[in-house]
Amino acid sequence: MKRLTLLPILLVVVTAANAQKYMTKNGFIGFFSHTPMEDIKGDNNQVAAVLDITSGEMVFQALIKSFHFDQALMEEHFNENYMESDKFPKSSFKGKITNLSAINFSKNGIYDVMIDGDLTIRDATNKISTKGKIEVQNGELIATSKFNISPEDYKINIPGVVREKINKEMEVTVSMKYSPLASK
Amino acid sequence: MKTYIKIALFIVTFIALSAILAALYMFNLKHTDMAKAKPDFVITASLLQKDFETDETAASTKYINKILEVTGKITLVKPGENNILSISLATGSEMTSIICTFPAISDPSKLKDGKDITIRGECSGFLMDVLLNNCAVITELK
Repeated sequence: MKRLTLLPILLVVVTAANAQKYMTKNGFIGFFSHTPMEDIKGDNNQVAAVLDITSGEMVFQALIKSFHFDQALMEEHFNENYMESDKFPKSSFKGKITNLSAINFSKNGIYDVMIDGDLTIRDATNKISTKGKIEVQNGELIATSKFNISPEDYKINIPGVVREKINKEMEVTVSMKYSPLASK
Repeated sequence: MKTYIKIALFIVTFIALSAILAALYMFNLKHTDMAKAKPDFVITASLLQKDFETDETAASTKYINKILEVTGKITLVKPGENNILSISLATGSEMTSIICTFPAISDPSKLKDGKDITIRGECSGFLMDVLLNNCAVITELK
């Protein structure tokens, strides 16, 4: 079952062997929410991501347990109470660049991109539509995006007392530094 | 009667103060210091990768949330967001490595490609590689 979750990435890697793929295993996804008591901030620097620049398709995968918090207790609550990371260890995003023609991957520069896709957290999947940027820099791609999600969409239970203190939405930041995947 | 009230007040204040102190203590609790922590498993990078490749479910149950002391050769050093640093350790497999992520590290120049190293960190699981978090350098060999 766990191997199945890797399939999307492997499929993207294997199909169309001569298409151009970019990859990173050290991608960054962070989320942030402000409360009067404290800022809730988790960082994950171990995101695996593949981007196919011929089709514009992209896949991200992250382990929930790789999110790191400054406070140990917050990390424990995040894993045990809110995300139940033993039950739902992985989160993924599968999407597509919808304005692919606007990007010249062989010319250095910063391009605006539009992305549509499905975000899966705790086995709950929701559509995400967001804007982002891709910077082409001497053969490497730096992709960044920011969007908001609401914990309720992913069946994350936050007790009433706490819920009132947290913003309705959490801000998600994505930053990937892709390198070309050596073609076979 | 008055002494009763005094005693009651004293007890209530005492409980309230201890609760606040306990809450503050819990809230500010830091992560386990890996440099001092006792490892649950001492293993080489190749063996660790092999365990996950052979049976991911069994390896997950065995290693996730445990403190691992892993020895291997550095193949990649990559800085990340917010001053963190990730290194990859070579395994017997070409596709998968052990990725170890360090919190802000004082002297990253010590970590170089090709160097043998022993690190300690907490295992988060397996994605395309075995992932370790909150790592600390234990020994650098040549």
